[in-house]
Amino acid sequence: MKRLAAADLPMLVVRIAAFLIPRRERDDWVAEWAGELWAVQDSGTDQGALEFSLGAFRDAQLLRRDHVSRRVTAACAAGSMARCILGLGVLAFAGIAGCLWLPGARATVSPLPYRNAGDLVLITRYGDAGGQQPSIRLSDYREWTTNTAGLYSRLAYFAPETAQVHLAHHLSPHLRLAVASGDLLDTLQPADGMSAAGLRPASGARLVLSRSAWSRWYRSDPGIFGREVTVRGQTAVVAGVMPKSDWRLPVSVDAVLLEDPLGMNQLAPTLRGFVVARIRDSAFPPPRAGWRSMVETREDVVYRYGCLSLDSIFTEPLFTFGCCVLLALLVLPAITALSLGDYPLSREPLRRLLVVRRWLFLALKFALVLAIVNSWSTAIAFGLATHDLSAAAGLQALLSFVPLLFGFRWILQDQRRRCPVCLRRLSNPARVGQASCNFLSWCGIELICASGHGLLHIPEMPTSWFGTQRWLCLDSSWLCLFAEPPAPAETI
Amino acid sequence: MPVEAKLSHTAAMILQAIHAGHIYGFSVMSMTGLPSGTVYPAMRRLERDGLILSKWEQQSIADAEQRPPRKYYRLTRTGRVTLEAVYKRYPLLAKMIPTPEEERV
Repeated sequence: MKRLAAADLPMLVVRIAAFLIPRRERDDWVAEWAGELWAVQDSGTDQGALEFSLGAFRDAQLLRRDHVSRRVTAACAAGSMARCILGLGVLAFAGIAGCLWLPGARATVSPLPYRNAGDLVLITRYGDAGGQQPSIRLSDYREWTTNTAGLYSRLAYFAPETAQVHLAHHLSPHLRLAVASGDLLDTLQPADGMSAAGLRPASGARLVLSRSAWSRWYRSDPGIFGREVTVRGQTAVVAGVMPKSDWRLPVSVDAVLLEDPLGMNQLAPTLRGFVVARIRDSAFPPPRAGWRSMVETREDVVYRYGCLSLDSIFTEPLFTFGCCVLLALLVLPAITALSLGDYPLSREPLRRLLVVRRWLFLALKFALVLAIVNSWSTAIAFGLATHDLSAAAGLQALLSFVPLLFGFRWILQDQRRRCPVCLRRLSNPARVGQASCNFLSWCGIELICASGHGLLHIPEMPTSWFGTQRWLCLDSSWLCLFAEPPAPAETI
Repeated sequence: MPVEAKLSHTAAMILQAIHAGHIYGFSVMSMTGLPSGTVYPAMRRLERDGLILSKWEQQSIADAEQRPPRKYYRLTRTGRVTLEAVYKRYPLLAKMIPTPEEERV
């Protein structure tokens, strides 16, 4: 029994080492070592056989390294699947990085920075289209603060205007202001604990600067908080700095002037602005999209006001992009065939794993093209081109549709021109036959897989007997023609 | 082709051993005294570079001798040319591992 175990040990070592060998070559490798091991055992001791078998690990390790090296070379070859995915991935990564780097685009793709943002609505008089223009009169806002208390827990007002602000001696720039009711920031409830409203004087107006204005006009000096400045002819205290990401309301501003109740009363009742409200939990179901909630009749005129969820305003680009995807898919059959080609001449059916891999590759290309187009169009439209959300959404639609359409077309054409086995781009196109002899034989283009898996015949003129491209699978006897040449400069 | 100039002494010894009629791994090991972890990887690289060719012996022969079949190696034409060139670099190689004909002489 002991003798049997000692004799089996070297073979066990070889079998363990065999796990390093690629599966296709493993049986052959084990058979060779078994034959050699028999010769060793036949000529010597079991101890010598054990020492001999340990060499199998080095052999297996070097074979494995060669195999990995061949795989890497094949993956990096021109037209390989890995190269294609890598190229698309780099483009997608660059687009996503652009989206995250450009503040306007980043604001579009990131969630709203307000607590319970689903409860926030923007009230506008003209429905969805009016979301970008100040349309609510201050007098209306004053009325609503008293008679809509059942609907809204908070109601804030702001009106955009450009005004000269006396920040310091010889420093009176024109700033884009949001003249707002004092509770605007309390209504919004920024999630980062409101870095803006640090100082709260007992009375008077407060000025909250945007981070860019603070760094431009005050060179990011933290000592300016509490300093008095003159805005619109009145004195205001610089109360804090607001990160750009905290301001996600229509129109971009350099500073927010938070008026106290007295200051609000001095504003003209005809001033037009925006109303931001936080709805009561019990008042409505969550406003996932725009809905109209208020109808007022004054002096025989019916006024309709739209309540737009702030969430829905900022998810609009995604909705626009989704529409573009749908439209591109509908138009796609007009510019290319949807078929991926048939493979009726395969001598043996393609293995299921290869078929699954081929479809996964197609799906991955679609996903990456969607990511590329979405990220780049968002970065250009919202990050570079414009700050007007409606105009940016329109620009994004334009920038999305055409690239999507031609991107989908490229995906299908690329998939048709790939070997179904290794998914490498087919190469060496050759014209075969003559169009004038079409009734006698076929004519078209023949492409070949550089790894020797097969040939693709594409008819130039679809006929009843040759209507679509055909794949001709080459058997293993052809492989010697496609073997990789040995590395010439290597020490053996 | 510069392959012949790049052969190490070990690879040259293995090539010469195969040329001398030691046509499977263990007999190459016995002749050269090299360990299995050196001989087999070197033989695979020689085969990959087209200097030697391997062939399984017939199952019937192995069955008749009641042992597993062996893989036998032989030099290709390139391998023979390479070996001729290697003699210039390692002049004692042919004397270390003589072929049966040289032994008779």
